[in-house]
Formats: sequence, structure tokens, C-alpha cells
Amino acid sequence: MPVPEFLQTLENSGLSTWIRESQSVFGFYFILLFHNFGLAMLVGASVIIDLRILGVVPGVPVKSLEPLFKIMWAGLIVGTISGVLLLLAYPTKALTNPVFYVKLALIAFGVIMAFRIKNRVFDNPSVSEADMTGSVSMAKWSIVLWIASITAGRLLAYTYVYLIYGTKGAVLFDIFKII
Amino acid sequence: MNFPHLHLLLNHWPIIGTFIAFGLFVVSLLKGNGDFRRSSLIIFAVIAFLTIPSFMTGVGAQEVMKGQVGISAALMQRHEGAALLTLGLMLITGGLALAGLWETHRDSRQSNSNIAAILVFSILTLIMVIRTGNTGGDIRHSEIREDTNVTTVSEGTFGSIVSVFEPNAVKFGSWMAYSKWCTAFLMDLHFIGLALLIAAVGILDLRIMGFAKRIPLADLHGIVPWALVGLGINIVTGVATYMGSPEIYNFDIPFWLKMSSLMLLAVNVAVFYLTGTFDHVERVQAGDDAPLSAKLIAASSLLLWVAVIVFGRYIQAYEGSIPFHGAN
Repeated sequence: MPVPEFLQTLENSGLSTWIRESQSVFGFYFILLFHNFGLAMLVGASVIIDLRILGVVPGVPVKSLEPLFKIMWAGLIVGTISGVLLLLAYPTKALTNPVFYVKLALIAFGVIMAFRIKNRVFDNPSVSEADMTGSVSMAKWSIVLWIASITAGRLLAYTYVYLIYGTKGAVLFDIFKII
Repeated sequence: MNFPHLHLLLNHWPIIGTFIAFGLFVVSLLKGNGDFRRSSLIIFAVIAFLTIPSFMTGVGAQEVMKGQVGISAALMQRHEGAALLTLGLMLITGGLALAGLWETHRDSRQSNSNIAAILVFSILTLIMVIRTGNTGGDIRHSEIREDTNVTTVSEGTFGSIVSVFEPNAVKFGSWMAYSKWCTAFLMDLHFIGLALLIAAVGILDLRIMGFAKRIPLADLHGIVPWALVGLGINIVTGVATYMGSPEIYNFDIPFWLKMSSLMLLAVNVAVFYLTGTFDHVERVQAGDDAPLSAKLIAASSLLLWVAVIVFGRYIQAYEGSIPFHGAN
């Protein structure tokens, strides 16, 4: 299937070109940095709740961790906004790479799992502190999904076919720039 | 101020520090002195941390000194191999010491297995740190060298035994950067370690600063070992990635800003635990506020970890930002 031309139109737009080529410290790497912050907030907050459900720091009441969900949603928003901007900068690179779709799916599953944990453990008054056993498998899956999401995201830098429309990757960039 | 200068400023500390820590450790075992024990463990941990920039400035010094008259590439390579092995042993000893410190904090008793492991690894570290110091001195000080021939290196008895275990740093590095998949694997683990580290440090610092007050702080403190696991993963993957292309990282400003932030974080941790602030924090129950000193330390901790992430991200953007003033 040939690469759709609208991707080239996107890449030729002012915003896309600016993000890709600007030498400003607020350019591509700044957006990527906030994408990493989003990851740290979303995954970090979720992992603490998951670890607690799995029995780490048992002296901490599970329900006292509820404010962490605010951090999770903030992280998801920061990650999404920065992600859209990154996508606008390199649409061909992302959308022609199957790993990108895998990453989005994994994040979606991770968020769904977080919702399910919130419903079962936090919003449910009948579930007591001692009764975490039913939630243990959700917590384990949550951790697995986040590790998989991070891996998929990392692999994007090494698995793309087209860097920009019409230019195959890895030929232009040396190993270090692919890190 | 250049790399050889920085290297000289740093490289004596791991050697002398290991002697002092080992001495204190042994005396504490013979006399059953808890203060000596804790001090020795703290010094082991601090020295392990310092060995990292010590090694990296050494690589920088090598870049600068390569090709200079009277400086042997073979001697530098031997020293680097010894240093790399020492770095590994030092990090293990430091990690074991941190585990020992955590044990003594819990119930004032260090486990026998931890004591034994520290004994074994600190002796190995001591041997290697002497070897590293000697081989390092040989590079510049022809007056202490027995052998004037420096193109091929000859070893005495001690050297021939030890050199069997010393890796070739360049070969080791080429394995780390063997293919982009090695880098991908290392960086993947690095991000996972980052998530775990920020998760644990983040919730602890935020709670100390007053977020989510229903969490009892004394119990939350038990999350610290998980932060150390994340840190351990990132130190190992970080050093491994560095070894893959050391020249690229050495001449990169954000990389050194990141390393400096990590050193400042070590100071921050020391202030938290050694000034007694931690003792106040340990008594904070659900709903209570932590003392102001603790909040300041927690805020600087979070700020520094954010800085580590920022500088880490910008490493790629500022490659070559330190001009190279070498002989070649």
C-alpha cells in the first residue's frame, strides 16, 4: 500500500515543519520532554496503586491513595497533547509504523485497567481494605500493560520505516541520533 | 578546568574512601560498634556514587591525552580495564551497603548475609581500587614504573592474576552498542526504571510536601527500597549505555548537568537522613503535616529529579556541545 499523500501535506504545514526543524530549546525536544513527564505521571501514579494492591507498604490504607488518580489523569492529558504535537511533526514516521498502533492500544488498555481498579477498589464502599485479593490480577495486568506501553513507545525510535514522507529512515541518522 | 583536572580531583576519593570504609567496617565487626557500622556503610554508598563521575572524567582525560608524547595508549587501556571492573565492584558494594543501611533502619540489625556479602565485595573492591590507582599512576609517573617499555605492557605476578578479570573497555563498549537493538533494550529498561523511581520518590516527596494527607508518612516510607530498585536499574543501564559511546556523552553539556544533579541528590538524601529530619518525618501520621525542613528537602528532591529527566532528554539535542581540545 503506497504511503498516503495527505501525510506529506501535513508535514509541509508550518507547525509541523517548525516542530521538526526549529533549533529553539522549546522545539521538538521540549515537546518530547513533556511527553516523558506525562509518562512519568501516568505510569508512576498507577504503579504506586498497583504495588499497594499487591501488598507493598501494607500500613498505608488503600483508599488514602485516591488522590493519585488526579496525577494519572493530568499525566494522560499532558501525554496526549504532547503526543498529538509529536504526531504532527512526524506523521509519516508514526502512522506507517505498526508499532505506533500497538502502543496506542496498550495505553488504552492500561487506562481502561486503571478505570476498573478505580471502580472496584476506590469507588466501591463494600470493598474493605482487607479484601484486595479480587483486585490482585488487575494490579498485575496494569503493571504489565504499562511496561509493554513503555517498550512499544521506546521501540518507535528503532522500528520506523519512513522518517519523513519519501525518505526512508536510518540512512539519514547515525546510531546515536536514533537513541 | 579540563577533563584530566576533573579526573585528578575525583579519582583519589574512591581509593582513600574504600580504605576508610573498609577499616571502619572491620573495626565495627570486631567491636560491635553500631555507629562505626553505619558510618562505614554510608561511606561505601557515597564512594560508589563518586566512582561514576570519576570513571567518566577518566574517559574524558583519555580523549584529551591520547597521542601526547610520553603518554602510552596501552597503559591507559590497562588502567581503563581495571577501572571498569572496579566501578562494577564498587557499585555492588555500595548497593549492598544501602541494603544494609535499610536493614539497620528497620530494626537496628544488619543481616548476616548482608554483612558477609559486604565483606567479600569490599575486599574485592579494595584489591581492584589499589590496582586501578597503580595503573593510573603509571600513565603519568614514569619515575615509579619498573618497565620503561610502554607500547606493550608487562605485568608482575599480582598484575597477571588480576588482568585476567579486567575487561577490555573498548570491547565491552562495542557490545553495548553492538546494534541499535542493544541500545533499544537498555533504553527501554532505563525508562521503566525511571517510571518506578519517579513513582516512589514522587509520592513520598509529594506527601511530605502536603499532598494526599490521608496517607500515613511512617508507613509510606517503606516505598523507598522500590525507588532504589528503579535507581539501580537506571545506574546499570545508564553506565552500560555510556560505555557504548563514551565520547559522545562526555562532550555533551546536558549529560554533565544530569550527572551533577544526581550528585546533588545524593547530598539531599544525606541531609534528609543525617540531620535527623527523617526522624521527625517518621512520626507523621495520617492527616498530619510534616515539618518545614522536611518539606524543603522533599521539594528540592522532586525538583532535582525533574532536572535529571529534563537534562537526560536534552542529551540528544546538544551532542558535541563541549568543544574538544585534544592533542589530535
